[in-house]
Amino acid sequence: MIKSSMIKKRLLALLTVFACSSAMAAETGVVLKPDQLRADAFSDAKVVGNVSKNDAVDILNKKGAWLQIKSSGKTGWVRLLTVRRNSASGNNIAGVVGVATGRSGTGKVVSTTGIRGLSAEDLKTAQFNETETKKLESYAVSADEAKKYASSGGLSSQQYPYFLGGAQP
Amino acid sequence: MNQMTLKQAMTLAVCTSMMWGTAAALDLKGVLKDVVNDQMGDTNKTGQAAPAANASSQDKLANINWKDPSQEDEIAVGRNVTGTILGAVPLVNDAKLQQYVNKVGRWVASQSERTSLPWHFGVIDSSDVNAFAAPGGYVLITKGLYQRLSNEAQLAGVLGHEIAHVVQRHHLKVMQKQALMDAGTSFLKEKISKNKITQRAVSTGAEISARNLDKSAEYEADSMGTVLAARAGYDAYGLAEVLQEMELLPSNDGSVALLFQTHPHPDDRVAQLSLVSGDQIDKISGGKTLENRFYKLK
Repeated sequence: MIKSSMIKKRLLALLTVFACSSAMAAETGVVLKPDQLRADAFSDAKVVGNVSKNDAVDILNKKGAWLQIKSSGKTGWVRLLTVRRNSASGNNIAGVVGVATGRSGTGKVVSTTGIRGLSAEDLKTAQFNETETKKLESYAVSADEAKKYASSGGLSSQQYPYFLGGAQP
Repeated sequence: MNQMTLKQAMTLAVCTSMMWGTAAALDLKGVLKDVVNDQMGDTNKTGQAAPAANASSQDKLANINWKDPSQEDEIAVGRNVTGTILGAVPLVNDAKLQQYVNKVGRWVASQSERTSLPWHFGVIDSSDVNAFAAPGGYVLITKGLYQRLSNEAQLAGVLGHEIAHVVQRHHLKVMQKQALMDAGTSFLKEKISKNKITQRAVSTGAEISARNLDKSAEYEADSMGTVLAARAGYDAYGLAEVLQEMELLPSNDGSVALLFQTHPHPDDRVAQLSLVSGDQIDKISGGKTLENRFYKLK
């Protein structure tokens, strides 16, 4: 019963299915980097095939940071960053395409419809609010408190270097 | 305001004529440099001009050394920028939520190179999907973005992105350029006090916190933020998941207009993060998502 509404409201559905595996509407994507297709959504699952850069794929499912994809007739799981989803969604194709082709980030102003959100102008004309600032500061926690809270969730500090790959191709 | 020396006055006269042609080039070398040094570099000589309703924080702002800001300067600037954003959008009135976000954020910040900053995190009451960082360790995320998250690892990833901006002083650098340029132009033209220059830099700072960074700064924050969250013990894909969800947001929805105006499209961010992380991200294992204790907002 939930599934039929998911198909209609794909976005809403996607926001609610992180943790659990569930069916999704047909969606497509492109392979960003070569990877192995795995039989299940974990890193030591059996390898059932390979994908190459720029392969077109169907995205069948999502489970945590894994996507189940179908490529050249083979189905399997890859990590999230292996595939770029093709932007899509219902009645807003024009807007999506506009941004995609504009490759934004170039200061291109996207025309908006519907509810007007927070704008740059709102921020420019805003006045400093001491009361809210003090309130924000009242919520601060010390490094030790934060560490305790982390430990209580089973988190511990790990040693990973920053990624070495250069930005921008 | 201290008296100008004859030499300074002459220097000003010389460069006034060239300013209007070249101000945009931000060339602070040569003659202009002396003026700016005098005006912006020495914290002892200026600042008395501020008649103060709110003396202490005004004084701090009036004495910012824009040439080489100290950590204290940076915090004073960031506090003002943050308070200005809060002037536009207040905090969500939910102490538990705010404390939760601070615990998670402070832990992620502790994995960075700037653990000694007094980090502050807050959720602001806007249905927009966005997040902001200001110098000195201030990070705000909107309720609209928070509500799209489904676990603590995703929150850690989003906060990690903003923490990276602070660590790399991305916004501070933009504001410095602006203040120094303003110091050149406005001092020459109107003899504006340093206090006023700082106020201008700060008032545009709120806007700068949402825009004016170049794409590479955003990609760098995605990359560093991902690693910071992983260092904190979270699943490394939290931020990537959020970005992938954003790929599906319609760009003509008002709630993402500002985000899409000021950041590269999520498609490009996912592609860059994929490229930069390469196979290094696959070496990160055992991270937690902690959806069970993720604080749910009604």
